[in-house]
Amino acid sequence: MRFVSLRNIPRLLAGISILVIMSSCEPLATGFDDTEDATIYQASTLRQAPQPDSAIKVMTWNIRFAIGRSPWFGDACGDNTVFTKEEVMPHLDSIVDAINMIRPDILMLQECDIASQRTAYINDLQYILDNTYFNYAAYVPEWKAQFIASDGLGRMDMGQVILSRWPITDSKRINLAVRGDQSGLVNYFYLHSCIISGKIKIPGFEEFSVLNIHASAFATDDTKKKHYEEFKSMLDRINAEGGYFLAGGDLNELPPGSDSTDFCFEDMCPGESFHQPGDDPQHKDGSNYTPEITWLQPLYDAYKCAVPLDRYQQNQEAYFTHTTRPGHFWDRTLDYLFTNHRWVKDSDVTHQYLLRYSDHAPVTARLVLKKEN
Amino acid sequence: MKKTSLLFLLLAAITSVTSAQSPFVTKYMSYNTAYLLPEKKWESGIRQPLRIGLSQKAEIYSTVLALPFTPNAGVKLAWGELGSFRVATTHSLSVPSPVLNILSRKGIGGFISPEYSFPFILSINNSVIASRPVCDSALMTFKADFMFAIRGSDIDPQSTIDLPVIFPRMAHYYKGSSVRLSANIKTPVIKKLGVEEGLQLFIITRQDNNFFAENTGYLYWKMSKKMLLKAGYNLSYGMYPFGNHWQLWPSLDLLFGSRR
Repeated sequence: MRFVSLRNIPRLLAGISILVIMSSCEPLATGFDDTEDATIYQASTLRQAPQPDSAIKVMTWNIRFAIGRSPWFGDACGDNTVFTKEEVMPHLDSIVDAINMIRPDILMLQECDIASQRTAYINDLQYILDNTYFNYAAYVPEWKAQFIASDGLGRMDMGQVILSRWPITDSKRINLAVRGDQSGLVNYFYLHSCIISGKIKIPGFEEFSVLNIHASAFATDDTKKKHYEEFKSMLDRINAEGGYFLAGGDLNELPPGSDSTDFCFEDMCPGESFHQPGDDPQHKDGSNYTPEITWLQPLYDAYKCAVPLDRYQQNQEAYFTHTTRPGHFWDRTLDYLFTNHRWVKDSDVTHQYLLRYSDHAPVTARLVLKKEN
Repeated sequence: MKKTSLLFLLLAAITSVTSAQSPFVTKYMSYNTAYLLPEKKWESGIRQPLRIGLSQKAEIYSTVLALPFTPNAGVKLAWGELGSFRVATTHSLSVPSPVLNILSRKGIGGFISPEYSFPFILSINNSVIASRPVCDSALMTFKADFMFAIRGSDIDPQSTIDLPVIFPRMAHYYKGSSVRLSANIKTPVIKKLGVEEGLQLFIITRQDNNFFAENTGYLYWKMSKKMLLKAGYNLSYGMYPFGNHWQLWPSLDLLFGSRR
């Protein structure tokens, strides 16, 4: 007696193969739910975390996927899309050296590649973990696609990170508003701005929340405004529940009261023209902040920025954190640290001397911790 | 690796049962078997190559839609019977440099970064195919391909298209040669419907990213004596520059040709 006809074997094999394997396949580009769990990383060697007295040093840094100031096509008038391991590693080592020198206790990174063709599939995050003193990290993807058939981008996995000496719990990815000024197809393969959140408990102190945002850089509609509103509403919720937070990241927005708000000429690439009659668009995407200049005011009004607004407004250049132009000094401020608790007075540092490490300068400050009752 | 080996062995094991093959298979599903198209008959697909039967001993083929971008041509030769197997060989040449240089571009459609340009590449493929009838009406085929490329100069290893199905077929353009071992079984299901199940192993003669496997399954629906719809799936596993990866993709083709 034959239980299975030999003629049925091809169909049987096909059916079994599909059922067994289907769950392990990934789509061409990854869509995101409103809230998802983050991926937790751990250093290859765990180190004893220090016991702070009353405050910790925190830092935010957009590391530009460890290509330093190289001429990438997407943001620096460059021609290159793909960088070799030999090109990336020196920049990654520089980032590691800078972190080891500055020694923040908690680090929020933006634009961290973990498996992208453009950076030779180097896992920046694991390398940083294994070559610094951090023990734990939480990662969420911001731009994840199996293949992007545009400019040779190929496979992409870039995201945001919270690095900590202490364990990170309840870490989530919070999806932000989708850009409203892109076609559906482009948006499907494009990066999806998000916040990574987590909770950190340092022995002897109350648990606090960490929120790291990378807001849209190039949206020309009100998408960025929505991102700030979503960010603030999360902070408001924590605040209303009696918690305290460290929040920050690359907000891609100028502080209110900035003297210079239009960077079309600074960011202009050869062959481009803006502000002239007949130019369409009149402004370079992501370079004209004039209509958006008050969008961060609610954050400043509600919470404490590590660099207070009045101090920024008195000496703006000292707090610039970004420039698109390799070889030029920083020309605008886009990176921030906020809390609803307290900063150690005048503890903030905008590390402007790290000019060759990324197109953003890291910002640090000392966050006062709440003692446990 | 274990899964694919098991499937391969299973397919091989069922060849122990023999009987007469179905005309449906040899008439309409002879691509990738040791059977040739009869003289003056032709068949093509949107993706499948155009094949033209020259004689009982020879068939020529070329992927017509790709011709302007990837000049290609091949010949399939029948070598008669060896035991219970019908044996044929294929020999083909293609020049993928133009299409690679087209795909290396800025903006949408840029599968490869525009910073790369490709030298002259001549890809050479030789294969041996052996088919025999199995079960009541099925046809079992084994195929061994050997592919290598003559390159005008070295090609940057980061200029690959790191996608399943595509990456293993382009691997020998960059480094090493490619050996492809495959087996498939084709059988009619009902009067106008046939099914194919196959397995392919790609072994690239180099240190890294050197093994790939594909399990394919297709249904052939005979819409008329001149036209068939081929639909199915391609389940692939491979060692890519970013790591090991499984992928399931759908597959669709429309086959058309002379009345058979």
